[in-house]
Amino acid sequence: MPTNHDYVSHDCDHYDGHRYNHLNKRKNGNGADICIVGAGAAGGVLTYELSKAGFKVVVIEAGPFWNPQTDFASDELSMQSLAWNDTRLVAGNDPLAMGHNNSGRGVGGGTVHFTGVFYRFHESDFRVKTLDGVADDWPITYKDLEPYYKKIEKDIAVSGPKHFPWGPFQGPYPYPQREPISANAQVFREGCEKLGIRSSVAPLAILSAPFDGRPPCINRGFCNQGCKPNAKFSTLIHHIPKAIGHGAEVLSDCMVTRADVDKTGKVTGVTFVHDGKEYFQKAKLTIISAFCIETPRLLLHSACPQFPDGLANSSGMVGKELMTHSGHDIYAKFDDEVRIYKGTPVLAVSQEFYETDQSRGFVRGYTFNAHGARPLGLAKNLVSKAGIWGQKLYDIMRDYNFYAQITLVGEVLPNINNSVTLSDEKDEYGMPRPIVTFSYGENDNKLIAHAVGKANEILKAAGGEPAFVIADTGHLMGTCKMGNDPSNSVVNSFCRSHDIPNLYICSAAAFVTSGGCNPTETVMAIAARTADHIIEEAKKGAYN
Amino acid sequence: MQENRTRYPGYDILNEKEHWDEHTWEIVLKRLGPFPKYKFLNDNEAKMIFTIAQHIVYDNRNEILDFVLYHIDSTLTSPIGEDQRKVGTPEQKVLVREGLKAIDKLAKKQYGARFLETDVQQQLSILAAVQKGKAVPMDEWQTIPQKELFKKLATQITSAYYSHPTVWSEIGYGGPAYPRGYVRVERGLTDPWEAKRDANES
Repeated sequence: MPTNHDYVSHDCDHYDGHRYNHLNKRKNGNGADICIVGAGAAGGVLTYELSKAGFKVVVIEAGPFWNPQTDFASDELSMQSLAWNDTRLVAGNDPLAMGHNNSGRGVGGGTVHFTGVFYRFHESDFRVKTLDGVADDWPITYKDLEPYYKKIEKDIAVSGPKHFPWGPFQGPYPYPQREPISANAQVFREGCEKLGIRSSVAPLAILSAPFDGRPPCINRGFCNQGCKPNAKFSTLIHHIPKAIGHGAEVLSDCMVTRADVDKTGKVTGVTFVHDGKEYFQKAKLTIISAFCIETPRLLLHSACPQFPDGLANSSGMVGKELMTHSGHDIYAKFDDEVRIYKGTPVLAVSQEFYETDQSRGFVRGYTFNAHGARPLGLAKNLVSKAGIWGQKLYDIMRDYNFYAQITLVGEVLPNINNSVTLSDEKDEYGMPRPIVTFSYGENDNKLIAHAVGKANEILKAAGGEPAFVIADTGHLMGTCKMGNDPSNSVVNSFCRSHDIPNLYICSAAAFVTSGGCNPTETVMAIAARTADHIIEEAKKGAYN
Repeated sequence: MQENRTRYPGYDILNEKEHWDEHTWEIVLKRLGPFPKYKFLNDNEAKMIFTIAQHIVYDNRNEILDFVLYHIDSTLTSPIGEDQRKVGTPEQKVLVREGLKAIDKLAKKQYGARFLETDVQQQLSILAAVQKGKAVPMDEWQTIPQKELFKKLATQITSAYYSHPTVWSEIGYGGPAYPRGYVRVERGLTDPWEAKRDANES
């Protein structure tokens, strides 16, 4: 029989083979070279690359240091704890659902429960102003990120097709593509084939063969609840343990509440809270990798006499141009069982509609992911986002096994009114709760309408009867955009703050536009590029 | 309500629990009860949520709805946040407590009886109105946004209900599969232990 164990109590200080449940033996208590706030996709890569380069690195993570074997369960309800559950206030015409669909908490951050879908952005994603006359161009191009995309894919053994039909990188991927694919992915590919739409097996940060002491995927299907076999990459199981091997220190269950600044306007380190008590981490260089809500919240909350509008905010752009992806779920019912709970959730994709096509009446585009779903996720979305309940809900769920799903990852253009600001309401740390305001624009809505129509065509061609659409969203980007002009951007092309030379802001927060696909690989490539830049700058003595 | 609840009459997911990891086993089996006393909900609130849950998930079985109630009570006493809350909406404890009072008052105003004393059709029309934010005007709706109240209750009820192993069995969900995984994932294939439809089913 299972024994009762306490799965929420964790150690909080981890380094060089030491794990402590207190902060009395901190390795870098007297100061570090580099302090990183947030141990997610970006923070994990930065911690690894910078500790490997010989820096004294501390990474501070608000949530626990998970143990996949004892903390993760094959269960949706209990694994909602992998998300950032702290209450955010939401506003706008299309207030965002927060939590599991767009955040992570704990070492590994969102990579612990992402689907593992691993795309490079396309060349056009960095030049939308030039090509489409909307938003801004990035201060970097695809070419700047290309070596880092390649490095990351190799580092974690991304699996994917020999030939990927879209974008500048067409394979082959380091590891063979996954096989077999699930019934839901087969349905999608059959529908695409009938309509002459190209489809592909998904590029995934999920192993198709053994790598680095980890086994290939067993098709358990709970990617979004945390991978127990460790077949899916996360920075929790890859970058962070390796970084500890290179000398990094991880402080977990430690909530950073302020970045501190001296009289000369340089950041001296960060203040954080563990178990109700306040501590300070001194560092020569601070990198905020706390994603798109907590990053601007921390910067705005750290306002001080030198920086009354918040840190790194002389442009007024901290917290502005928050983006998500339109993530509509399109369902159809089939005569035979599909069983969307089985296998890796996303195994087939299409980027046939990724690039701008003026004849469609909107700019930019989207990706389709054939996407699995589990009972709680589906039923909860039906109730909260589609307004379906009672006998109708029951009728759908009774035939749960007969539905197939396609999920949209649609580009959302930046809008100055979509933002993260501070409210008057305080959280348990005395920090103001953020207000997250979001409304779709006209282009966004036209794109969604097009995509929903196309997805239904695909499902119909595969023999399905279009059933319902759930207006969902996924991912977050923006709020500390990169740019060359300090008057309208927060960081430069290396994620270095325009205003404070020893402050970096490195995560999806630096995105200028959202792209039309899952963003994690681009987040990690940017982080690897920032790490290289810091290593080079340090050699020049830039931080002395 | 209970007839033909499943297309998989012979399937019981709990027969497979020996193949689950211990942590999952422990979490799922706790949903069968017994449950401790409520920490937050009072008797009337619990009965109201029980009735509302019957309508939301179209089921009236105590053994499942008791877990739903326990889950909601635990959530309302938990220090963990509620992911998001619309500006102008009170925190969930207040939203639920004051919201249920408002629904009771609405029932009296509209049907001359407390919510629990109205009939099923009346209860359904109250819920439908609150869902759309179109209940009979009352001062309470100034501080208790109707749509948010409905969404909060319905989301929590549904999340717990579709986490109960009996419901998993009924919808033919394979569920936990660690350490063994799924082997036959392609169209038309099932692993030997998965739910199979009744051969005579129409």
